[in-house]
Amino acid sequence: MKPMREVAIVGIGQHPWGQFPEKSMQDMGVECIVSALKDANMSWRDIQSAAFGAYMWIADRGGVPSLLMGTSIARMMGETGIPMVNCVNACASGQAILREAVLAVASGHVDTAIAIAADKSAGGFFRPQLRDASPTKFDRGGENDTDYIRFCMTGETNPAYWAMELRRRMYDVGTTDEVLAMAKHMTSEGAVHNPYARYRKVFTMEEIQASKYIADPLRLFEICATSDGAAAVIVTTMENAKKYSKKPLLVKAITIGTPTFGDPTIRLTFCSAFPRPGVPDLSESRNAIKAIYKMSGLQPADIDIIELPDNSSWHYLVYLECILGLKTGEADKMLMSGKVHPITGELPVCSGGGVAAQGEAVVAQGLSQVCQLVRQMRGECGEGQVKKTKLVNGLAQTYGYAGNNAACILHKAW
Amino acid sequence: MAKQQVPIIEGLFTWPSQKPQLLASKCKKCGSYFFPKVAYCGNPDCPKDKANMEVVPLSNTGKMYTFTIHTAQPAHPFRMEPFKPYGVAMVDVPEGMRVLGMTTTTEGLKIGQAVEMTVGKLYEDAENEYITWMWKPVEK
Ligand SMILES: [Zn+2]
Repeated sequence: MKPMREVAIVGIGQHPWGQFPEKSMQDMGVECIVSALKDANMSWRDIQSAAFGAYMWIADRGGVPSLLMGTSIARMMGETGIPMVNCVNACASGQAILREAVLAVASGHVDTAIAIAADKSAGGFFRPQLRDASPTKFDRGGENDTDYIRFCMTGETNPAYWAMELRRRMYDVGTTDEVLAMAKHMTSEGAVHNPYARYRKVFTMEEIQASKYIADPLRLFEICATSDGAAAVIVTTMENAKKYSKKPLLVKAITIGTPTFGDPTIRLTFCSAFPRPGVPDLSESRNAIKAIYKMSGLQPADIDIIELPDNSSWHYLVYLECILGLKTGEADKMLMSGKVHPITGELPVCSGGGVAAQGEAVVAQGLSQVCQLVRQMRGECGEGQVKKTKLVNGLAQTYGYAGNNAACILHKAW
Repeated sequence: MAKQQVPIIEGLFTWPSQKPQLLASKCKKCGSYFFPKVAYCGNPDCPKDKANMEVVPLSNTGKMYTFTIHTAQPAHPFRMEPFKPYGVAMVDVPEGMRVLGMTTTTEGLKIGQAVEMTVGKLYEDAENEYITWMWKPVEK
């Protein structure tokens, strides 16, 4: 097999996050493709391969055309006959499709590829997609759906799971209500000047701590909303990148993380775990991080800016620890010290306000994080630009349902 | 006449029973447990042979690993009528599994406390009460 080629990001396009009832997912996807092509000085016919986020909630809206997003968007962009793949890896889909695009170029299969995800998740708690009332008998076998079982039989929503993990953390290492509120407060200061964020306001400690419990100990403002959003990223060979962009970002590493057997976490959509000695919790996330450090030859100390998946304040803490290789509890101190402030920190984290300020648009979330890293590393964020000037290596990690994770490291290449 | 108690989804625990127990699968080769039941052992080193899996009732006692009090009302298809805040817990059972489940109360829950499995009603219609498994704190 031929050695892999180096691949760089040369174009990004993003739709703001929020609620856009007047647009279809496909409309939003087309807008992002058009802006990514413009950013890369390319035309649609320059794209040789495409990977799409497949929409997950098709029982609620979008239907099969949004599951088969690729050919449905191609009908609008114009059909050019190129390879297209539709992928769903829950919230990790965005980075999973970027990996597909990167591998298509790295392998020599094509020279230029695009990753596109458009999503309309706005509208409350995520819930099972099974609409047939038939699985009233578990032993019907083929129709078993642990997501349906955990939801109907245990009332476990996503925030319920996060809250349970958080309560155990509070018991084990003493994480306080103040720390949880600070995760939201501090990241919200990054959202004020991010035109793609849904909530561009500073949430005060007082209003966060006065917001009602959704799943005790997690409060309303400590859990991300669900949003509509879309983004697109174009990659080409490092060799050709300078033709398209003055500021290409080398994709130093990108991977998908999945769990290790024996993980003690009862992951979302499951009803049990069988913990085995030596297997850590959140193994899918740790596996992804370990892999990108190995691929890139970098270490936590080399990372200059981070986009982590702050779906809740609990996530903020555990993912900071996961990415930096910290012990449980150490993220609390780092957060409270201000070192990770999104704009003024010496290690900016969630510079645009993170998932907390955006609300989650499931399959597009990972691409939004990558777009934010690219804008910061290029120095294009205006008033929302981080104060730190050395931005050589940026890391993004996305958390997903049911043990789906993805992570990448981008490297300044100009 | 008392209404019949019917599991919302049948086949997850022994029923009807004075002492209901969750039904798990155990692998005869490696001893791993899975709940709900599975066709194959999830251990990557075990052969994918259905004959290795046996259905076993889990101990109906355990220790609270963690819990939450859920105050928001989940969307359909979750049904609890009338709705009121409820507890959800992860419980460690003696077989070495960690198992999810609602709690019978939202009062006085503590990490590390002893619990036992029972059943509780979430809603009813003209004929039946619809039940699920629940973890009940016990004095020790
Ligand atoms: Zn086995």
